[in-house]
Amino acid sequence: MRELWNIFKKGIISENPILVLALSLCPALAVTTTVQNALTMGLSVTFVLACNNTVVSFTRKWVNPKVRVPIYITSIATIVTVVELLLQAYAPKLYSNLGIYLQLIVVFAIILARAEVFASKNKVLPSFADGFGMGIGFTLAMILIGTFREIVGNGTFFGYQVMGSWYHPALIVILPPGAFILIGYLVGLSKIINEKRENRMKLKGEVQ
Amino acid sequence: MSDHENNKNDSVFKIALNLAVACLISGCIIAATYYLTADTAIKAGISLRDETMKTMVDGSTDIKEIQSKADWYEVYKDSDLMGYIIPTDTKGYGGTMELLVAVDKDLKVMTYKIITSKETPGLGENAGKSAFVSQFIGKTLEHLVVTKDASDTEDIQAMSGATISSKAVTVGVKKAVEELKSYLEGGQ
Repeated sequence: MRELWNIFKKGIISENPILVLALSLCPALAVTTTVQNALTMGLSVTFVLACNNTVVSFTRKWVNPKVRVPIYITSIATIVTVVELLLQAYAPKLYSNLGIYLQLIVVFAIILARAEVFASKNKVLPSFADGFGMGIGFTLAMILIGTFREIVGNGTFFGYQVMGSWYHPALIVILPPGAFILIGYLVGLSKIINEKRENRMKLKGEVQ
Repeated sequence: MSDHENNKNDSVFKIALNLAVACLISGCIIAATYYLTADTAIKAGISLRDETMKTMVDGSTDIKEIQSKADWYEVYKDSDLMGYIIPTDTKGYGGTMELLVAVDKDLKVMTYKIITSKETPGLGENAGKSAFVSQFIGKTLEHLVVTKDASDTEDIQAMSGATISSKAVTVGVKKAVEELKSYLEGGQ
């Protein structure tokens, strides 16, 4: 149980997909102009990532290593298509809001990377925990970026006006260059946090 | 997944079979899901469209398709004709945008709704928000022009940073009104 928790936890801070592994920067730029979009995208990715890790881990004994990547992509595409069909039928409003983002999940580096690095070598339960943790880490990073961009670049949060009418939104934050600059600072910040954490761990180890 | 296992499965036939089986399974899963959800999806799509059109025009009670014009609708309040809903498309910043335009019977714009678009979020995408849409209400054909002059209150004020999207929407709405005008003149 403790091991599962550790696997889950590492995706959130010490191996955060966006801020530390620098995977899937494309959606981090494209979909984070509002918090709503960032959150929806994050949750969709979490779902697909957890499902795909489970499937890949479950089938790892039968998949020929030479064609593993095409098979992983087939698996990801299948999951995304099934989700899409279900949403279209039972939540058409959500489906039309997600629009093109949903199909884009198929090519996200983070999903393929976790299948290759973790799920293909580990048992089903840890793989699920890994996918779920990575997904949550991805979502949190997306929300962080989205919150900053929406408040500074548009003066709103979740669509509600939070800045007064005196506030002139900074256009650059909404545009992709602004997101790049912001992500750069966040990567730096997470590096500092992780270093401090490691130092603390080392100290603890020495004391014991 | 060790090396000697690799050697065992080296033949092209085995590799191809492996991939083929994976694709076959995923094909079956997708086909089954589609089979189970297709009917519901079509129904959901139609009811979503009807709902969208009903919410576009305040006080509307009934929406009827016009027989001679595909996808054109007449909007009724009880038995009075209020106006028309006309589908149109226009070329925006990120590609084609599809709009539904509601026009009353005096050829004044009532409102419009963007159905699909790929405009920049936070900029051009705001063309679907009420701050911009409200400018169109009551506009007649000659005032469906984009201006950047803030003192010009007759025409449509462009959204800052999204002139192309502003123009695209205006062109689309204008096209719909023109089409309706020629339809009404031709029909009566």
